[in-house]
Amino acid sequence: MRRDKRMMEELDADIREHIARETQDNIERGMSPEEARYAAMRKFGNVTRVKEETREVWSFLWLEQLWQDIRYGLRMLVKSPGFAVVAILTLALGIGANTAIFSLIDAVLLRSLPVEKPAQLVLLKWSARKPPIIHGYQSAGDCASDLRFGASNPSGCSFSEPIFRKVVQANVFSGAAAFANAGRLNLSGNGPATIINGQLVSGDFFRTMGLKAAIGRLIDANDDTPAAGAVTVLNFGYWQSAFGGSRDVIGRTIELNSVAFTIIGVTEQRFTGISPGSDYDVWLPLADGQRINTSGPFRWNDRQADVSYWWLTIIGRVKPGIPAPQAQAVISGLFRNEMLHGSVPLFHGGEPMGGPPRGGGPAGGGARQEMVFGGAPMRFGLGKSPGREQQGATGGPMPQSAGNKPIILSGPPGATPAGGPHPTERATEPKTLSSAEDNPEITLVPAQSGLSGSRTRYSDPLYVLMLAVGIILLIACANVAGLMLARSAARQKEMAVRLALGAGRARVVRQLLTESVMLSALGGSLGILLAYWGAHAILSFVSSNQPRPLGFAMDIDFRVLGFTIAISLITGILFGMAPAFRSARVDLTPTLKEGEGISAGWARGAGKWVSTSNALVVAQVALAMVVLVGAGLLVRTLQNLRNVDVGFDSHNILIFGIDPTLIGYKGAQVDSFYRDLQGRLAETPGVKSASYSMMPLLSNGLMVTSFHWPGTPQDQDSEADDLGVGPNFFETLHIPFLMGRSFNASDFEVAASNRGDQPSSAPTPVIVNQAFVEKYVGKENPLGKHFGETAADANGPANPGCEIIGVVRDAKYNSLRREIHAMMYTPQSMGGATFELRTAADPQAILPAIREVVAQVNTNLPLFNVATESEQIDRLLFQERLVARLASFFGLLALVLACVGLYGLLSYEVARRTREIGIRMALGGRAKDVLRLVLNQGIALAVVGAVAGTGVALGVMRYLSSMLYDVHANDPLTMIAVALLLILVAFAACFIPARRAMRVDPMVALRHE
Amino acid sequence: MSTKEQRERIELLQGTLDLLILRTLLRGPAHGHAIAKAIEFNSEDVLQVEQGSLYPALHRLIKRGWISAEEGTSENNRRAKFYGLTPKGRRQLALETHKWDKLAGAIARILRPSELEGES
Repeated sequence: MRRDKRMMEELDADIREHIARETQDNIERGMSPEEARYAAMRKFGNVTRVKEETREVWSFLWLEQLWQDIRYGLRMLVKSPGFAVVAILTLALGIGANTAIFSLIDAVLLRSLPVEKPAQLVLLKWSARKPPIIHGYQSAGDCASDLRFGASNPSGCSFSEPIFRKVVQANVFSGAAAFANAGRLNLSGNGPATIINGQLVSGDFFRTMGLKAAIGRLIDANDDTPAAGAVTVLNFGYWQSAFGGSRDVIGRTIELNSVAFTIIGVTEQRFTGISPGSDYDVWLPLADGQRINTSGPFRWNDRQADVSYWWLTIIGRVKPGIPAPQAQAVISGLFRNEMLHGSVPLFHGGEPMGGPPRGGGPAGGGARQEMVFGGAPMRFGLGKSPGREQQGATGGPMPQSAGNKPIILSGPPGATPAGGPHPTERATEPKTLSSAEDNPEITLVPAQSGLSGSRTRYSDPLYVLMLAVGIILLIACANVAGLMLARSAARQKEMAVRLALGAGRARVVRQLLTESVMLSALGGSLGILLAYWGAHAILSFVSSNQPRPLGFAMDIDFRVLGFTIAISLITGILFGMAPAFRSARVDLTPTLKEGEGISAGWARGAGKWVSTSNALVVAQVALAMVVLVGAGLLVRTLQNLRNVDVGFDSHNILIFGIDPTLIGYKGAQVDSFYRDLQGRLAETPGVKSASYSMMPLLSNGLMVTSFHWPGTPQDQDSEADDLGVGPNFFETLHIPFLMGRSFNASDFEVAASNRGDQPSSAPTPVIVNQAFVEKYVGKENPLGKHFGETAADANGPANPGCEIIGVVRDAKYNSLRREIHAMMYTPQSMGGATFELRTAADPQAILPAIREVVAQVNTNLPLFNVATESEQIDRLLFQERLVARLASFFGLLALVLACVGLYGLLSYEVARRTREIGIRMALGGRAKDVLRLVLNQGIALAVVGAVAGTGVALGVMRYLSSMLYDVHANDPLTMIAVALLLILVAFAACFIPARRAMRVDPMVALRHE
Repeated sequence: MSTKEQRERIELLQGTLDLLILRTLLRGPAHGHAIAKAIEFNSEDVLQVEQGSLYPALHRLIKRGWISAEEGTSENNRRAKFYGLTPKGRRQLALETHKWDKLAGAIARILRPSELEGES
């Protein structure tokens, strides 16, 4: 700087000398001294410009100039605080909203896995042209898998344990780990018993992930052997909440499903599970999976050696010497080998299962089971073998962190009675798991993208919201651009002087752009604060809706900051462009002469209709219209969903889940427990009636059964929704009977025996709904109809099928959106259950009494998923509620911004044309005319904006269709309503400037500059 | 004159101005005013350079290392900054002159082909 200063001083001297010499020469040529000097100076040119250009040769001049511009800009902003505050606030709202939604997107969709060097982790995914012939498949929704019945090219990421062992042996990874959901765990030994979620992990899991323990140590390879003691590692958050974060938890013993486990450590705080959105409370070694499921139907003895039961997700860390493609070739070859040359293990033909299927399947051995979770049903064939393993998934859509429920399909997918072989057939001819033409193979996908977890659930609404806030930012930009245009009109004189003094136009434009960017930088900084607060509010709304913590943490990290800086810059340049260029184009002479540039008054204004300011306001109104229409559609969707007739009375119903099998109840014990509990609950004061079912209604859980309907071709299967229910179910839920009777005690006995290995000769009584009758029975009398019978054959004894004993009115099953399908209700036997209690008053109030009653039967039985049915429905609608709420908020924000823009424009116009107004009024115009003049302009702008916005909305709203319910994307009613609202509010916004125009005193106005 | 015209003139002359300055300095160091006069004189007043544009050009040349500046006194005992060629500048002058000749020759051949053919 100092060197520059010296140089400039020297230059100054040089120039003076130069001019002096030229002057001298001119004098010698005969001019007068004054003439000589004048000629010399003209010959030289613009001294300032020369100095600037010379400086430019030397510097990082642009940096100096930037600093100059910033200082100048700050001074100008301080001089007009009103403008600065409004502009900064507007920008803060726009940028803040964008940052908030982006940080949510970052937390949910972009955040890297909470492990060491996540880029090195790969996930194993299998694929084939046809589903492999296996008898069990378990998935916890870690990755996107496609195992639908009959779907071609299925894929997934669950594998059998023998395959995992082979992968480890192949030694192509520096670490390989397998994990699976441990299912529901009953934890006791730390206060009252509770139900928690756990994950089974292989010994090398924590080492491969590179995780550290917060206290104690983590599971290692030594713990994952059958001989080792049962140990467990706690989740940090769970440790804090359930164990008070005390360090003496190490070495303590707790009981999981009545099995003693020693706590050896706590994970680091940031790790709640490897799949995005997963939140497990404890981790257990794989080898201990067997111990905690002694009473379950999982046949753990077989699972560890069973190549035909796929339940483990496998992740590997790439080894430095072995690139991923090479490792993939090895692993895929290994897999292929197993698929084509390994053999299918046998079923224990004829042997009863260790326990009844937890899900309590339908009666009828020939039936197939489907589990559905918030998506397309995944089916699988059962064959007639008693090797049925089913797990009812109570509550929670598939990839939800809440519960992390496993989805278990059993039976060979793709096996049909006519098509594939029955499992017991293979007792005689072992078949392989797949065939060469099906091309089974494994791909290694990067874990970061492959483990989708809960991400997919939230991506749609997040993108819609991102769009909405993007539009709001545009509105904010247009708003501030309008403000700056108005301001630049006031600064015309300043600009003219600067240009006359020799500033290049580019320089002026640069300085104005610097001012804009500064404004948006200040707006952005404020915006980050708003975003932080906003995103937290959204996240806490979301987690208040889940029964379990969300598993996503929100931080302002580099990506978010980078995003904010980027859009602040872009915003600043965007709205600064038009005013900057406009200012630099100022016509010098007229501006310097007159006080203000007198651009067209209203009379000539008609010709300048499409002025930039007007266009900006119209754009703002149009964009606001788009956001409002979207919000309107989403709100109507929510309303429509809320008003859906669910077919039963959902008020004052308390529901809770309970699972005695976790603590060792077996067989008939389970049924009698349920019945006993039901009786006790029914007699509790405050409870009007009680019942239970396999899963609660409207909780996203669904079961579908297929069977053979008499009269249809032998190999054709019919299907219906299926729900196991206890006594008094329909009475408790107020589902009216149209025909027939409800279940009685003998019905339950028949159903129970039919489910065992020695079915009785009596068909299982079932109750069906109207849709079932319509679909299958038609005009005949449904009562007494039999279906689903199968004859005795090599695979097992005859099954007596089902008999319809009653018809009830249609009711929704798993979700509000899904239409009512043919449905049958069966007497539930065994498995986990959810109780439904109809209460006289507020359900929550009698909850303590209920807990008492349950405790009287067995103190070790925790209730889980406790809620009222109304809350359950709310949870179902949570996404719609969130999106509707946010969309409305943003819609109103957009409306306010647009109207502020309109108000600003009109105020400015009125102020600018004060003189003209004064003239009009002095010449006899009435106040009312002036009022009308202003209003006309305002309303016209609003109407044009509304029309333009409607046009855009018509084209754009169709992208929302997947989220809408019972309302068309181009619903005219919504559009008209929104347009009216818009015009009304715009009218109010116009009113104030209009009244101000009215009150102009002609005498004052005429003297106004 | 208007800004646009000005800009055009300057753009035309920037590269060539550098060349002219270098050539002028071949005869020996000179101060700014002398250089300006020399260019005018030697071009027989065809080239009317806006004298101010000389200085940014001089500083550009200094930055590139083709000329250097020194304080000195002029003929009438006034202080002045004298600019002189550096060896690098000398080499650059030869290079630029050569380039200029080639350019001028090429243009001339296009403009008056018949004459040249007649000559050869």
